[in-house]
Amino acid sequence: MAVHVHIHTTHRQFTNGLESVAVEGSTVGACLSHLIEQFPGMEKALFAKKDKLLNNVEVYLNHASAYPDELLKAVKDGDDIHLVVMLTGG
Amino acid sequence: MLTPNEQERYDRQILIREIGQEGQEKLKRSRVIIAGAGGLGSPIALYLTAVGIGMIRVVDHDRVALSNLNRQVLHSEEDVGRKKVDSARTKLRNLNSTVEIQAIGETISEGNVSVLVGDCDAIVDAMDNLPTRYVLNRCAIQKNVPFFHGAVNGFEGRAMTVLPGETACLRCMYRGLVPQEKFPVIGVAPAVIGSIQATEVIKYLVGIGKLLTNRLLVYDGLRMTFSEFRLNKNPKCDHCGSLAKKE
Repeated sequence: MAVHVHIHTTHRQFTNGLESVAVEGSTVGACLSHLIEQFPGMEKALFAKKDKLLNNVEVYLNHASAYPDELLKAVKDGDDIHLVVMLTGG
Repeated sequence: MLTPNEQERYDRQILIREIGQEGQEKLKRSRVIIAGAGGLGSPIALYLTAVGIGMIRVVDHDRVALSNLNRQVLHSEEDVGRKKVDSARTKLRNLNSTVEIQAIGETISEGNVSVLVGDCDAIVDAMDNLPTRYVLNRCAIQKNVPFFHGAVNGFEGRAMTVLPGETACLRCMYRGLVPQEKFPVIGVAPAVIGSIQATEVIKYLVGIGKLLTNRLLVYDGLRMTFSEFRLNKNPKCDHCGSLAKKE
């Protein structure tokens, strides 16, 4: 079992086109660290600096908003993390 | 009361059990502001005009450019250089002359948003930038008027409906400014999202269905999927929560 991180379309260039990546960790933050270990290009796509997500990145845990303190949220095997990029166009 | 002409025009939607005669009359009595006459504003304005909203106020400061025409279907080649609201008024009046169309060529700001919204029953977000969306979101909360959000990029889009004081608002997940960039977009994306926003407005005004509240709908046209995410009202939100400025 693992946690599944679902990658936003614009970020798939950093995951070899993968839509979903299996990771391990007990928090969202730990899972994203494991994601970045596998795909280092994701770091700049997600983080402004250490432990600070970019303002346009939204995190959903099991289809519910993980805001605020997203990185501290506990996860368990089988959970789904969706990384979604905020859209601004019209 | 509907006129005989209106009875005939709206016959097919009056046949919808949830709308009926009463619902059509509610639509006729309604006033809606559409903030933007571009990619999202085009389908929103067209469908809300077609459905028979009593008054539609379209606000946009921009002029039609050739590069708009891949998606902004309110405008045509002959409109290039013309104010978008003038072009919109012409098209919408041709579509449905029984709807009052108010075309306002202004830039929406903190200073004028309250007057622009006036006594409208619904605020529809058809903007192309986040700062103005937040101006509209705050105004919606202060006036206790529902806010219908939509945004697009490329083949993607998202939508949510805000009932002030009851459901999560656009600002409830705010973390800071997002850089404004020229965004890629293909016309079918705002067509989908704008149609969803218009559907939400119609449902709200008639008082039917289940609104897209406390839910974010994310559309991916390339994979042809719709995903739904649950949202929570943030008690500390600076627009609708404890940190909101009292006016």
